[in-house]
Amino acid sequence: MMKRDKKEDDNGGLNPFSYLEKTSVLQEGRRFNETPINPRTCCHILTKILYLLNQGEHIGTTEATETFFAMTKLFQSKDVTLRRLVYLGIKEMANIAEDVIIVTSSLTKDMTGKEDQFRGPAIRALCRITDTTMLQSIERYMKQAIVDKVHAVSSAALTSSLHLARQSPDVVKRWVNEAQEAVNSDNIMVQYHALGLLFHIRKNDKLAVTKLVSKFSRHSLKSPYAYCLLIRIACKLLEEEGAGSDSPMFEFLESCLRHKSEMVIYEAAHAIVNMKHTTAKELAPAVSVLQLFCSSPKPTLRFAAVRTLNKVSMKHPAAVTACNLDLENMITDVNRSIATLAITTLLKTGSESSVDRLMKQISSFMSEISDEFKIVVVQAIRSLCLKFPRKHSVMMNFLSSMLRDEGGFEYKKAIVDTIIGIIEENQEAKEAGLAHLCEFIEDCEHTVLATRILHLLGREGPRTPQPNKYIRFIYNRVILENAAVRAAAVSALAKFGAHCEDLLPSIVVLLQRSELDTDDEVRDRATFYLNILRQKQKALNSAYILNGLQVSIVGLERALHQYTLEPSETPFDLKTVPLAVQPTQEMKTAAVAGEIAAPKATEKIAASRQDIYAEQLSRVPELANVGPLFKSSNLPIELTESETEYNVRCVKHTFPHHIVFQYDCINTLNDQVLENVTVQMESADGFEVVRYIPAPKLPYDQPGTCYTLVSLPDDPTAVTGTFSCTLKFLVKDCDPNTGETDEEGYEDEYVLEDVEIVVADHVQRVMKPNFGASWEEVGAENELEDTYALSSMKTLEEAVKNVIQFMGMQPCERSDKVPEGKSSHTLYLGGVYRGGHDVLVRSKLALTENGVTMQITVRSTDSSAAEVIARAVG
Amino acid sequence: MGFSKLASWLGLKKKEAQIIVVGLDNSGKTTILNRLKPDNEQRHDIVPTIGFTVEQFQTKSLKFTAFDMSGQGRYRNLWEAYYQDCNGIVFVIDSCDRLRLAVAKDELDLLLENEHIRNRRIPILFFANKMDKRDAMSSVKCSAVLGLEEIRDKPWHICASNALTGEGLDEGLSWFADQVKEVINSKRK
Ligand SMILES: Nc1nc2c(ncn2[C@@H]2O[C@H](COP(=O)(O)OP(=O)(O)OP(=O)(O)O)[C@@H](O)[C@H]2O)c(=O)[nH]1
Ligand SMILES: [Mg+2]
Repeated sequence: MMKRDKKEDDNGGLNPFSYLEKTSVLQEGRRFNETPINPRTCCHILTKILYLLNQGEHIGTTEATETFFAMTKLFQSKDVTLRRLVYLGIKEMANIAEDVIIVTSSLTKDMTGKEDQFRGPAIRALCRITDTTMLQSIERYMKQAIVDKVHAVSSAALTSSLHLARQSPDVVKRWVNEAQEAVNSDNIMVQYHALGLLFHIRKNDKLAVTKLVSKFSRHSLKSPYAYCLLIRIACKLLEEEGAGSDSPMFEFLESCLRHKSEMVIYEAAHAIVNMKHTTAKELAPAVSVLQLFCSSPKPTLRFAAVRTLNKVSMKHPAAVTACNLDLENMITDVNRSIATLAITTLLKTGSESSVDRLMKQISSFMSEISDEFKIVVVQAIRSLCLKFPRKHSVMMNFLSSMLRDEGGFEYKKAIVDTIIGIIEENQEAKEAGLAHLCEFIEDCEHTVLATRILHLLGREGPRTPQPNKYIRFIYNRVILENAAVRAAAVSALAKFGAHCEDLLPSIVVLLQRSELDTDDEVRDRATFYLNILRQKQKALNSAYILNGLQVSIVGLERALHQYTLEPSETPFDLKTVPLAVQPTQEMKTAAVAGEIAAPKATEKIAASRQDIYAEQLSRVPELANVGPLFKSSNLPIELTESETEYNVRCVKHTFPHHIVFQYDCINTLNDQVLENVTVQMESADGFEVVRYIPAPKLPYDQPGTCYTLVSLPDDPTAVTGTFSCTLKFLVKDCDPNTGETDEEGYEDEYVLEDVEIVVADHVQRVMKPNFGASWEEVGAENELEDTYALSSMKTLEEAVKNVIQFMGMQPCERSDKVPEGKSSHTLYLGGVYRGGHDVLVRSKLALTENGVTMQITVRSTDSSAAEVIARAVG
Repeated sequence: MGFSKLASWLGLKKKEAQIIVVGLDNSGKTTILNRLKPDNEQRHDIVPTIGFTVEQFQTKSLKFTAFDMSGQGRYRNLWEAYYQDCNGIVFVIDSCDRLRLAVAKDELDLLLENEHIRNRRIPILFFANKMDKRDAMSSVKCSAVLGLEEIRDKPWHICASNALTGEGLDEGLSWFADQVKEVINSKRK
């Protein structure tokens, strides 16, 4: 924001409108009332009004209406420029002035009049001011205009119809014949717009759309734009159907690769490479047309081609290697955007040996490219580091020099994200990375980045060989920065104090200074941390400084709110608050695939799936007495085959002494209504069904939910079991057309797949940022140790994956990553057992001739929890 | 500029006048204005006006720009937005619509009381339209019901008309043109 203002100042001398003032411009608008009209003056005033509106200037209803009325007087002028500005003015004010429909007759007169220059714009303006009730009265004119022989008029009518279709789909649907006729136009724009409207009218009818595509893909369209649209429609159909290269739609796409228009060829290639499930064979022809474009004399084509190849190289690097030679030639392209994309593509497809050379190339013109392309480079570096971990020092140096350069927030954020990503992936890069980040925060204008880095320093710094070297950087922030950064710096300092005994005295001195800070939050944090640090107890340090709060923020808010609504003598119990759900590995990989866009999603505090379940369950009165929700199972389990009569999916919700099975059911028979629907459950493992909460009614295709409440066995270590399940309901036949339902029904049932309760259902994953501290904190009181031979496991990775899955716990300290070429590994897992008991697992794995042996040590604040976990793998 | 002034002084260029055409809906305003245009510019599909339109036509001595207002109830409050700058008013009455003549009178009274009309000597032409219809009231009768004799500070004139054939329009308009010219000239001085 600051930057833009500055720029505008610089250009101030050039833009004659930069100092316009709203009130005085609107005042000038009164001159529209003068007779005779002076077109030149009025044009100038209208332009100013339009400029202000487009700058986002807010104009109140009264002012806008007054100006609008004055503007209507201009309809008496025949000056073409002025009148066209009036049409623009009407469109801009359509939503802010009142009674804009008063220009309806004037506009219909213009759209049917003799002056072609007025007709198109009048149609566009008319469609902006017309609502569904008024639309009937202009319908006749719209139909005529769609098939008008003047192309501009026809196009205007077609595009306006598309806009109208949003608010009045039913009226616009009636214009399908006119749209059909317009598709046959020999004007390329009219044909394109007509196809667009036709598609829009039919888009909810899949069969009709399929017909549309097959019809127009045979009868050749004249307009390349229409072709491009058809390609997009075909693509959408292909995706929806999950069809492969044997589909006629795909044949059509391939045939477009041989079209004479470059635009169409590109569109087809782009479509093919972007399809979700393309094989190397399907990709090949598309990649080869892109390859041809790479040597085109037109920069736009080269740009389009290389940009697309760059994208392809993320998913299918092998398919792009065929273009390496062409890409090499583009490295020196005078257009730096093309060069950047070429190099970053090569970085993804090339071998480790070419990395240094390419990086050197790119740094030679880094200063010439825009932020957007710099981000492309950063992304390439990130994926390189994943691919060639050994190259991290080259990359780190490159990144740190980029950090020192000028650049906007998004760019800096991409770099910081990447450095943090590298540190987390690669232990060896840690110290260098932290050093670069320390240097960066010395002069960082972005609070968000500074706090993020401080948080990272607090977590990683204390465990490096020389923690003391970070203190200075962090303390500088306490002296120099704004309150949010100071608060983050205080938290970071406290972590050093909690983890490094030798630093504690000096940290206490530093924190004491912050007790006098002007900001409440900074002061509060300093006071809180000082009090804990002075206790000198490892358990306290771990629980309140190093490992922090593990609850879900949304859940905490709700629990506190609830507590204030029902005042009670007993203090608020943090254990009743649901824990924060850790993202699973799949979610993380999905995030990496989404690259830069992904972190945004995790930044804000959103209600997690579990928070939403908790909210839903709390509204079921029959479940009021089961206590706070501890955990909901991850993905719903399908209990029916796909495409059967009934669809049932199960989610398990764990409570302190109960499990609630939630069944989401869909009835796919349109001639039946189900009533009183329950899922009956039976088990031989000591679990008891307490009650069934039926879904009262399941009409065709409308989801409904029923619940089964099961109590856990008395023996605290009996926690797993299998249930056989049957869907029970009352069927009433009904007429699919009228929806009329029989009075009488009959009982019926439907057998579902079995459901299991496993150890993981009783454990919530919890990340312990400082595992060692937590290990000390929980202590050896309930420690259990055991050794297993996992003979079916062939690699350490496989063993790690399975152990995590069985126990349902969170890998800490990145110990889920087994370094390459090692024959032993230690896995650290953190979690909370049902009832709120901390559980920690240290599992030493060693590769032997007959599989993997595992020595497991479990610590917990509860003895039966430790027992259950220790036996989970057995 | 010099030329146009000279031209008008020589009577070479027509003076321009802005007028407003009002009256209840369905009275025939748009049909009348359409009839006044040259044959090749006339339209055959006349629909109720929504809001207003601007029409142009000429007499021997004047070039008229007419704001053809909608007579529907919800748009009548629009009329006054165009009073301020007009040089004359045409008020059209459906001479068969006995029932709503009282409504027409109310609207006329409101018009006459408007701050931009009240103190101006602005000519008003009344058309007692649809005279061709069998149950049409005479212009005298209309005049009486509307109480036109009460208007003393403005030149006014009423004539019966048939907008479909054009009968009566020229008569009314020639009176109107003279009056409007007078107003414009007096303004100049
Ligand atoms: N018989 C007959 N019919 C007429 C005459 N003048 C107008 N009409 C008809 O009366 C109807 C209404 O005419 P319009 O010109 O639309 O009336 P208007 O005053 O413009 O109405 P709004 O725009 O709604 O205020 C049309 O069907 C005309 O054909 C006339 O002199 N005689
Ligand atoms: Mg009309």
